[in-house]
Amino acid sequence: MTRNRMLNLSERWFRLLRRLYPPDFRDEMGDAVVEAYMDRACDALKTGGRIRLIALWGGALVDSLRNGAAERARPAALWRRAGNWGRDVEMVRRRLSRSPIFAGTTIGTLTIGLGMFAVVYTAVQKVLIDPMPYKDPGDLYYVWRDYGPITDLKRGSLAGTDILEMQKTNVVIQDAAGLQPLLGGVFALREGADPMEIAVTRTSPNLFDLLGVAPALGRSFAPDEIGQGRDQVMVLTSHFWNRLGADPGIVGKEVRLQGRPFTVIGVLPPDFTFVRDEAAAPPQRVDAYIPLEVNLADTNPKEGRYAGLIRARRGASPGAVAAAVNAVGRVIDARDFNGRGLKLYPAGLKADVISRIRPALVALGAAGLVLVVMLMVNLASVLLARGAQREHEVAVSRALGANTAAIVRSTLLEGGLLGLAGGALGALGALWGARALVALVPLDLPRREAIAIDWRIGAGVIAVGALLGVLAAAAPAVWAARTSLSSLLAGSAVRGGGGQGRWRRGMIVAQVALSLVLLSSGALVMRSFERLLRADPGFRSDGVFTVRVRTPPEFYPRTDDAIAFQDRVQRALDALPSVTGASAASVLPLMATAFTKTTVTVPGAPGNTGDVEGDKLLTDMIGVRAKYIEVMGLRLLAGRTFEEFRQNDKTEAIIDAAIARRFFPEGNAVGANIRLDSDERPFTVIGVVDQARLYDVHADGRPQILVRAELGFRPLYFVMRTTREPHSLLPEVQSAVHRIDPRIPVSDARSMDDIVQASLSPQAIGGAVISAFAVGALLLAAMGLFGVVSGSVTRRRHELAVRLALGADHGRVLRLVLKEGALLVMAGLLIGAPGIYIANRLIHGLLVGVSPSDPFTLLATALGLLLVTMTTCYVPARRALRIEPAQLLRHE
Amino acid sequence: MGVDRNRDIDKLLPLRRIEFHILLSLASGERHGYGIIQDIGARGETSVPDVGTMYRALARMVEAGLIEAADRRLAPDRGDERRNYYRITSAGRRVARAEAQRLELLTRAARLGGLLPKEVK
Repeated sequence: MTRNRMLNLSERWFRLLRRLYPPDFRDEMGDAVVEAYMDRACDALKTGGRIRLIALWGGALVDSLRNGAAERARPAALWRRAGNWGRDVEMVRRRLSRSPIFAGTTIGTLTIGLGMFAVVYTAVQKVLIDPMPYKDPGDLYYVWRDYGPITDLKRGSLAGTDILEMQKTNVVIQDAAGLQPLLGGVFALREGADPMEIAVTRTSPNLFDLLGVAPALGRSFAPDEIGQGRDQVMVLTSHFWNRLGADPGIVGKEVRLQGRPFTVIGVLPPDFTFVRDEAAAPPQRVDAYIPLEVNLADTNPKEGRYAGLIRARRGASPGAVAAAVNAVGRVIDARDFNGRGLKLYPAGLKADVISRIRPALVALGAAGLVLVVMLMVNLASVLLARGAQREHEVAVSRALGANTAAIVRSTLLEGGLLGLAGGALGALGALWGARALVALVPLDLPRREAIAIDWRIGAGVIAVGALLGVLAAAAPAVWAARTSLSSLLAGSAVRGGGGQGRWRRGMIVAQVALSLVLLSSGALVMRSFERLLRADPGFRSDGVFTVRVRTPPEFYPRTDDAIAFQDRVQRALDALPSVTGASAASVLPLMATAFTKTTVTVPGAPGNTGDVEGDKLLTDMIGVRAKYIEVMGLRLLAGRTFEEFRQNDKTEAIIDAAIARRFFPEGNAVGANIRLDSDERPFTVIGVVDQARLYDVHADGRPQILVRAELGFRPLYFVMRTTREPHSLLPEVQSAVHRIDPRIPVSDARSMDDIVQASLSPQAIGGAVISAFAVGALLLAAMGLFGVVSGSVTRRRHELAVRLALGADHGRVLRLVLKEGALLVMAGLLIGAPGIYIANRLIHGLLVGVSPSDPFTLLATALGLLLVTMTTCYVPARRALRIEPAQLLRHE
Repeated sequence: MGVDRNRDIDKLLPLRRIEFHILLSLASGERHGYGIIQDIGARGETSVPDVGTMYRALARMVEAGLIEAADRRLAPDRGDERRNYYRITSAGRRVARAEAQRLELLTRAARLGGLLPKEVK
């Protein structure tokens, strides 16, 4: 072999080795490397002959392998090879601005969808997930009494002695506090100033230490500030302090509560909120705290009057806390209840506070997730359709050498940018949406005030949007990477179809399946809501106006004076124009508490079983004034109602149908004598009514006994039946009461319709949001289906033209096109059906009186979905009929 | 590429052996890659870098602004074929000087520590 031949061979070998380096390095240095090797080869041949040269070949291989691999792995080079992101973003931006309609509708859809998701996510996050704003909130528990076999009360308040007992243990239970709402907080800044009614909670002095909350101004209660015979002190909440004018000098000032002097000693921080549980009273925002007016040791151990709150040792397991509370319960049962089976049990503070709203939020959260998945699938199919339009461009640029990674990258970037924009706009929209939601939800929604978009949630939603966009773009990106010129040319007869058609159809199936799940959930919730609306709560809510009028013992120490005042108020309200009747009660229907309970026994009643304990019936006791049954529209089943004329020595009671059935299975309850554990005197049953439900519109609660409010019930809710719009009565009611006693404020003005609505709000909000999601999902699915079917008509127009030319009638062609859509929808329905069962598990907490697998609702949903989607298919299908075969085929 | 401030120079130190060799060769004039390899061999270095290693180092140093590509021109030592020449930049010169001073300091310390024979003047 000649020297030249050897060198030629060498050069070929070195050029081959050059390929081991990454392309960018090859471009820059490749030739120089080959030249340097050739120089070495010349030298080697000169100094050592062929052997040396062949050794060099081996060395060069090792060298290139090592350095080629190292160069490929260099981070900086990787980054450079990953491309020019700024340029790519610019390209995507230009591409989007060239098709503003596409960009607008896509971002609009994402904005609405992600905005809705953001609002739901906020509510779920703030209410269900975020810790409450106390120190170590996980260690806080409510404690309740379960009377077990003693009475039918599973969630009873504690006696003061129970709380003392828990304070004593001090091993797992570090501290315990008792809380009690004050009924009737009439507040005035000064003697003689305008009175206003506020919500006051009486508490053990250690409440704030127990919660780990320090006042923003002043101090909290000292340990000895409890019981009587001391200066009265008060701590204000921040929002009440703001209502009073946010005067920082208020600490140390004297204010009036119930006409008595109180010194303001502190103001709580703005983020402090404490919602009492509904077992203690209807949950509401507290305006001020005062210490309990009795020492816990002096309370009646038999009588549960306090909500008990404990702090467990840091990190104690719920099991350990339950064991500790149970142990205290056993002591109390043995000491105060002769071991008849009273139990105490703890409930985590947050779990307890949110228990009522939890099912609605869980269902909403799940619906929100389904919606996001739906948006993603929809975006994916839109991007695929768009990719199909760019099929030529992609194939040509690939044929010209554009690398696959760049095409994939720009597709992913397009999806990501769209998602990012949608997420950002959605988060902005949610700022407003969350405010709207807060305005919609009832005042007593636990942690309602916490519902607002903060930067964390905003960032979360934007991230979800971007991720959703990138994921949605994955399918079109993979598809684009596979597009090649040859496949495009081969398929030129079927433009706009090909491989991506199958994917798009798959996505339609997924969308139909998801919308079926959302729609069926929405339909079930709405159907249940509609049942609730039609439920008969036992009273007529329309045209009834209610206000609360306090008669604080400080202003009316004697019961007789209070009754006289109430008489005057009732007469004055009765005399208002357009009022057809006025009365009053100690509690209104659907307020979820009776404030007072009593145990009823009927000696000698036919329904008694002979078991002394078993023949006691725990009932809600409601004090009402004359004409209450008539004004509120209760159904009188037997006997009569309370008369205007009252004999003080006669005690009368009206019982509900449940009590009557229990003690008088044969009827004839009227005239019987019954005993209440709250009163020495026997009561005569004068009537039987269907109960006006206190807790739920759709189901009876605890049995009810109505007695005369004149027994000493205060405050009272005055009710008026009117022919006008109820709220328009308020000014007249206020001035009427003011004329009788200017010290007494009128508060809590609501119509009975308001009260019914408020009690339905979890279902109403849940139903509204889920339905909105469901309709959104249906629209998305219909849009997708429209795109696929119309694309298919375009693609098959030749075939259809031939069929028409050969004499196929229009119906046949129409069926042919519709069949394609119908198959997709049916596949979606089949796949979605199992999803319904999973979804129904999540929403069963929202359903009342409707089975989660109600066949009628589910069938109707499926048929409705089919109808809507087939209508959507019909529009593009009709286009197939307008094909002019002759004209179209002539172009071929 | 700014290797202007002292802090930036410090960040680059110590140089890899091959980088210092490259700067050393270019300090005395423009060279092509293979020429630098030959210089290294001439300096008595036991392991002479291979071509791939050399050109990767050159590429990185161009990126870092320590050297720059001069024009492609005839290489008299290679039978008048054209080769890519490189030249040192002022930043490169500063870095090389800093590295040399660092090495000198170490060498002096090694002498004082008895690792090297005392001053052989």
